[in-house]
Amino acid sequence: MTLASPDLHGLLRRLSDCPADFLLPPRVGGAGTVHVAAVVSDVLASMGGDRLSDLAAKTFSHPARQMPDGWLNVVLVACWLLGDPWFRGRTSLAPKASILLASHLQPLARLVKPDQFVADPDRREELARFCLARLDLCPLGEKEAAARDRLAAISSVERERVAREAAAAERRAREVRKAMAAKRAREAASVYGRE
Amino acid sequence: MSSRTPVLTDDDRFPLIPEERRQLLTDLREHPHAPIFNYGCGDRLTATGLEEVRRYESALAVEPRFWQPGKPPPWVEAFAERCLRTVPFYRGRGGDPGDLTSIPPCDRTDLERGPEAFVPDDQPLDDIMVYDTSGTVGPVVRVPSHPVAAAKYLPVLRSILKRRGVTLEGGPDRVAIALVCAQAYTLTYATLSAYLGGAAHVKINLNPRDWHDPDDRMRFLDGCDPEIVTGDPYAFAELAKLPLAIRPKALVSTAMALTDGLRSDLGHRFGCPVLDVYSLTEARMVAVREGDVHVVAAHDMYVEILDDDGAPLPAGERGEITLTCPRNPFQPLLRYRTGDFAALEARGEDMTLVGLEGRRPVALCDDAGRPVNTIDVTHVLRRFSLPVFRLSQARDGALTLEVPQDAEADPVALRAAILSVFGARQTLSIRPLDPAAGLTGKVQAYVSELDDISALPKSQTSPERR
Repeated sequence: MTLASPDLHGLLRRLSDCPADFLLPPRVGGAGTVHVAAVVSDVLASMGGDRLSDLAAKTFSHPARQMPDGWLNVVLVACWLLGDPWFRGRTSLAPKASILLASHLQPLARLVKPDQFVADPDRREELARFCLARLDLCPLGEKEAAARDRLAAISSVERERVAREAAAAERRAREVRKAMAAKRAREAASVYGRE
Repeated sequence: MSSRTPVLTDDDRFPLIPEERRQLLTDLREHPHAPIFNYGCGDRLTATGLEEVRRYESALAVEPRFWQPGKPPPWVEAFAERCLRTVPFYRGRGGDPGDLTSIPPCDRTDLERGPEAFVPDDQPLDDIMVYDTSGTVGPVVRVPSHPVAAAKYLPVLRSILKRRGVTLEGGPDRVAIALVCAQAYTLTYATLSAYLGGAAHVKINLNPRDWHDPDDRMRFLDGCDPEIVTGDPYAFAELAKLPLAIRPKALVSTAMALTDGLRSDLGHRFGCPVLDVYSLTEARMVAVREGDVHVVAAHDMYVEILDDDGAPLPAGERGEITLTCPRNPFQPLLRYRTGDFAALEARGEDMTLVGLEGRRPVALCDDAGRPVNTIDVTHVLRRFSLPVFRLSQARDGALTLEVPQDAEADPVALRAAILSVFGARQTLSIRPLDPAAGLTGKVQAYVSELDDISALPKSQTSPERR
């Protein structure tokens, strides 16, 4: 963790004020209106980092087919968040921010619609905490462990993982019960002593 | 095992014993004095499985069975780590594999609630089998197991016999083991063992109703002339009453504690060592009595002694026997509280259980004064799905059955079930079980004020015919 910390409440207020333009259709191929790569470049530059190379820009202008719907809008909302004055000139954070925007927001975009990160208080908190954690930052006044626990508690990704694991566990338990009930299982091997 | 419908062929049952080497099996099944066998089963051992059993036998011969009390042998940490990672039950409760005491113990009620939660995620289900506990101590629990785990009983049996100078040879054309029961109903069969070189194994019930002629019991057993006879104290007490000529190399008593009196009677009666084995379906063979202690019988059994709160007790202090054992791949046991009590002491190169108080046979009598096997009572109570129960018999023979207040069991049906075992003239009262007792999961299912079963009259236990 770095020594300096942003105020979480300020970030949450900023997210709730996110302009509607950030939720407009992103420009991909010939369609859409918002040039996401340009917005990302501007944010990285405001942090003191390098603008996107042409190759890196293609990540946003020609996203891979497996990228979830809404991912580019989640990137835009995250850009709005990182445009907060607190991040300006934080050069050391720019490389991590670049990776965050290019690679880390897909799981959230698979589970949550972009506008929810603006309209829903819990999802606002999730996005803010998620971005801070990826930048190795802790909200002002919070200990690292508490911040981690709080993010786990509100995390859509974590909740989905737990639900998926629970479903897998139940599926396995059903398989075992079925196998135990099967006739072949009921005819066990011989036993050699009483127990 | 509870189904009587055959679902496997003999080829399935004996993957390593081809039809041309099963003549002994046919001879036993068609023996003119054979019991009315009600079941078919085999060892289901494949070549890979047999190899694993042989490897286990080799390890049994060389691996140490010793540890400093409180300091688990090295295999325990790796086993605990695997359990915490792959077994849903243990994973859900957590703990540090490097510090066994941080892992909460489990007990029989956990197995009752969900045996499937003890099956590791990565354990293939192809060879799963199911055993029911015999119910000597309470409601029946279904225990998933594997053919290799079942067959590992034999190397351990061989090993404990060897310590007494007895060699279980096996080999084709002979009966190696006769498992003798004495109860109203049990599965009976003749089978073969690839591990024992194709030798036969018979499981029989001495109840005359299982035979065409009661005298066939003697004719068949004498004809089998088994190397070893295994059984529980009830069965041996009955066996000793029969005019048999067999001279087994040893009797191996399991399931319940064997009293000194009965052990001595049996030794005189059959002229062979009588081994008293501490075992349970969940873990199979744990320890064998030598002198005044029980010696831990295998290298893959780690024993702790815990107090009522689950805290480990130092060597020499009595507490609950708690087992860690990887033998059964479908039910790896990690700190399993057995409900039995002893102190743990190191003696020489052995770990020993001192003052073992386990499943002592409970003397119950029917309305005519005839002995009743607790297994038969458990059997008739099975259909009521009682989570716990307690059946007590007073010195005057009166029975009291206690069942949970909220048990959905028809008292009339319960009474009929109990009287079907004890006779229509049996005095019986049925009342609610103290809720506090039920919650602990440690209700002793059978309690009796009658004399111990070893106190059978001498005339009944030694009708020798040599």
